[in-house]
Amino acid sequence: MSEAPDLTEHEALAAEHALGVLDARERADAENRMARDPAFAADVEAWRQRLAPMLDSIAAIPAPQGTWQRIERRLPANDDRVAPANDNGQLLNRVRFWRNSAMGGFSAAAAALVAALVVGNQPATILTKEVTVQPQGQLLSASVVSQDTRVQPLFVAAYDPDRKQLIVTSLLPEGSDRDKVHELWLIAGQDNPKSLGLVESGKAKVIALPTELLAKMADGAALAVSLEPPGGSKNPDGPSGPVIGVGKLSKL
Amino acid sequence: MAAAATSAELLNPLMARIAAGERDALRQLYDATSAKLFGVCLRILSDREESEDVLQDVYVTIWRRADRFDAGKASVMTWVSTIARNRAIDRLRARGPMAYAEQVDELEIADGQDSAETLLSAADDRNRLQGCLSELDDRTEKVIRTAFFEGVTYEALAKRMDAPLGTVKSWIRRGLAKLKGCLQS
Repeated sequence: MSEAPDLTEHEALAAEHALGVLDARERADAENRMARDPAFAADVEAWRQRLAPMLDSIAAIPAPQGTWQRIERRLPANDDRVAPANDNGQLLNRVRFWRNSAMGGFSAAAAALVAALVVGNQPATILTKEVTVQPQGQLLSASVVSQDTRVQPLFVAAYDPDRKQLIVTSLLPEGSDRDKVHELWLIAGQDNPKSLGLVESGKAKVIALPTELLAKMADGAALAVSLEPPGGSKNPDGPSGPVIGVGKLSKL
Repeated sequence: MAAAATSAELLNPLMARIAAGERDALRQLYDATSAKLFGVCLRILSDREESEDVLQDVYVTIWRRADRFDAGKASVMTWVSTIARNRAIDRLRARGPMAYAEQVDELEIADGQDSAETLLSAADDRNRLQGCLSELDDRTEKVIRTAFFEGVTYEALAKRMDAPLGTVKSWIRRGLAKLKGCLQS
């Protein structure tokens, strides 16, 4: 074989990630990078494709009895339906519910929640000190897609539990929605949406998550983005403007 | 390539149905692919219980992400196998940086073994990669294959091959560069 030119550092890392030789931390970094750098993600995919034929030589071995039943029990409920498999539609309704109840201001439930939320809805603060922990947490990613007729990704996010960071990238053209801002929300369980701060169009942002939100960053929680006046939502317990997209967090 | 075509015809429509929330379609995909994916997990983890655990995660992931499957980019079999391999490696990493599964066999890859699953993938891609891998020097070929099939870190590879980390890294990087050149030619 003739001498091949060396791979660029960027591609070498993509190839190493696809091959699977990176350690836990490097692997987590590579996954994060894939979420915010489409060119890198494409390189990793291309390498996965190149190497995939090797999988052919791995013998098939019947899975243990009962595995399917165990999988079926783990499938998210309510997923047997006609509409899309991810429950984005359902999530959107929930965000809208919070928005409406906040804006209406007449519902007792909403009023009680406003009171409860003054403490709970602090914007994300920046952690100045990084805590070193065993890199064993599960990385999560979400693609926040528009809910219009044409489903398109608006934001991508990756969560690194070891660093307690959420990296969010806006896929919208820089400078779009000029007199508005995009506010990111975390929707977990039956809680009201928690603001994670504002994300500029066309920019990526690292959000250091406050400790009380870490437990909520789990498979199945969701991110939503609303269009708000400068400074963000005026309502303490949810978006005040239209919700333009939602996406579920899932394990990478 | 009749087998591959049949398999794409069979599996591709399943993905759209899974994305639409049909459990029955996931069940069909499970029936068609679970033995292969269990084999992939077991190859990396060498532990049936952990492999089954990972296998469950894999199908739950497929259920959630079926809408991201792009038939223009990969076959269903490649897509799901890659998810399985990645999940198994994640699990292996959770055991610690030096972890690797005790492999029963010392890396003899059963190239001639034609299981039904083998037929599901494009044979010419396999032959091409096979050819390019065999053009590498023996040591480089071996280290790349070990890395792929066992999902171990550079660190663990270096220890196993009794070579400095930097050396193993440069074998692999140079090997991958050559591999790319060969596959493009």
